[in-house]
Parts: sequence; structure tokens; C-alpha cells
Amino acid sequence: MVLAGRAEAFAPLVTPYRGPVLALAFRLTRDREVAREVAQEAFLKAYRSLRRFDVRRPFRNWLFQIAANEARDRLRERGREQAALRDAADRAPAAADPEAGQDRKELRAGLLGLLEALSPREREVVVLRDLEELDIRETSRVLGCSAVAVRVHLSRARRKLGDLIQRDFPHLEEGR
Amino acid sequence: MTCRKARKLMPLAAGEDLGPRRARAFRAHVGACPGCRKEFEALRAALGAFRTAAKKERVPDWTEGEWKALMVRATAGGRTERDAEERAGGPAPWPRWAVASALGALLGVVVLSVLFKGPVTGPGRTTANTGPGLEAAAPREQDVVSVTMVSRETGLQVVWFFDKTFDYEGVKQ
Repeated sequence: MVLAGRAEAFAPLVTPYRGPVLALAFRLTRDREVAREVAQEAFLKAYRSLRRFDVRRPFRNWLFQIAANEARDRLRERGREQAALRDAADRAPAAADPEAGQDRKELRAGLLGLLEALSPREREVVVLRDLEELDIRETSRVLGCSAVAVRVHLSRARRKLGDLIQRDFPHLEEGR
Repeated sequence: MTCRKARKLMPLAAGEDLGPRRARAFRAHVGACPGCRKEFEALRAALGAFRTAAKKERVPDWTEGEWKALMVRATAGGRTERDAEERAGGPAPWPRWAVASALGALLGVVVLSVLFKGPVTGPGRTTANTGPGLEAAAPREQDVVSVTMVSRETGLQVVWFFDKTFDYEGVKQ
């Protein structure tokens, strides 16, 4: 209906994905304000690009693709990557110290802050595969790269995360 | 499977992203090697903790007002752009790769037709085919191809001559 020109059909179409797209943007950017901007832009672009949507693909993954591209562009523009990489190593160990009296919320923030220690591509594959639970093939389509490249980045990212967690959060057990 | 190979596969195995054959070989190795098993379990636990933390994390959400405003903005702004697109004749019906392929093929045909149509007349050089009888008399002349480039600003002409094997023969003005 939207493709036929009925603009009022757009909102019902995308409303189920408003939360997931914003969550994805937040996980990729680690910044609430930037995430909001990214998600907004993603929905605006989605409406403008609806004619290019391949109906054989899941609509959610198509929205994710737009949002991931937008997040990448935004991060590149703001030059936050280098700063994030520089800061991550300092921030994570501080959050990890169990004797510092932090609560679980801070612990979670510390764990997820480790995402910033990953390269942008590694972060994207981890978020899409491990957190959004897309399969390898869909992850590769969302990111516009091969399945082999996704596996390589995913392997590297998980290894890095595992090493950092074991180093900085040695007291952690699964499910905590 | 060696310990080194198993170690390399651990991150993918931790997310069950190995193919069935590799997964079987990996499981067999880890089942028999206490060192690899310990390392694999530690990695899986670490990644499990990470995933659990991510699921429990509070992510931002839209207020109803924000969401409605966004939808109004999207459909209003988008409609203007789509209308403009339609006025301009609509979007390109062919995908980019098809357009690029067609242009490439067209360019190839043009280049081949220029190169193999026969010699082009150059200054001070008679290469035109003047009749069927001349072909046998001057076969060498017809094996020559020339390319002429003319500068729009100065009128300078540069002519490149090639023989039939495309060996460069020189530049003449």
C-alpha cells in the first residue's frame, strides 16, 4: 500500500520495528542521542527508498541495513571511533573492579562498553549476529559483505571480547 | 584436529556458527582435550555473560509524541521527494549493474568498430580504400590504423598511427 503511494500506511508498517531499530542504533553508537538521530534518519530514508525494497527479504533486516549504514556514517563523521578506542581500554577495567562497590547496572554498562574496543565492523557483526540474532547470511546482506568476511570479523570480535572479559571481569559467570 | 586449529575455531563454535562437519570435528577434539575444553568453556561463559548483559540493558525508546512527529515528518518529506521523482519520470527502471554492463558493451562495440573498420585517413598519409583492385596492390596501407585527437582550445591535432599488430609508429602534427 505504501508502494502504491499511500503514505498513511507507512506508520503501521514500521511501528513494530521502532524499538528494534532504535536499540540497534544505540548498540552500534553507544550514545542515546546519536542513536535517536540515526534511527530517525533510518526511518526517513526507509520511506524514501521503499521502492528499492526487495520484498523477498525480511523488512526488519532491510531497516537494520539502513540503520547500520547510517550509524557507520554518523560515527565516521563525528570521528568518535578513535576517541572510543582510546577510552575503552581505560574505562572497562575501572568498571570491572568488584571492590569498587558498583552494582549490576554498572557492571552491565562496563561489559557492553567493551563493544567500543572493537573495530566498527567487528562491532556491527557482534551486534547483528549475537545481540540481534541474525544468521550469518542475513548479517552479511545487512552489512553488504560476504559471509566469509562476517565469519572472520565475528571470530576476531568474539576472541577480543572473550579475552577482555576474562581479563577485566574474571569474577563473572554466565547469566549473572 | 590439532589444538591450534581448535583454538582458532573456538569463537565461531561458541556461537554455533561452524558448519556441521567442522562442528563435529571440533566437538570430538574438545571432548578429548581437557586444555581446549577448559579454554572453550571459559570463552563461552564470557560471551554468554556479554549477551546476558546486553539483553538486560535498558535501551532508549520513543515517546508516542516523538514517534508520531517522526512519522509525519517521514511521510510529508518523503512524499515531496517521491512526487518530484515521479515528475522527473520516475526512478531508473534498470539496476545499476545492468546500466553499467550496457554502457560497457556499447563502448566495446564502438572501440572495436573504430579499430577494425579499416584505416582512417591521417594527414600526409593515404589510407582510404579507393576500390577493390587497390586492396591487393597496397595491402600494407590497409593494415594501418590512426587515431586523431584535436585540442578544442588550440586546434592542435595529434595523430597516432598503429600497424595491424598495434605497434605504435609515431606522432605527427
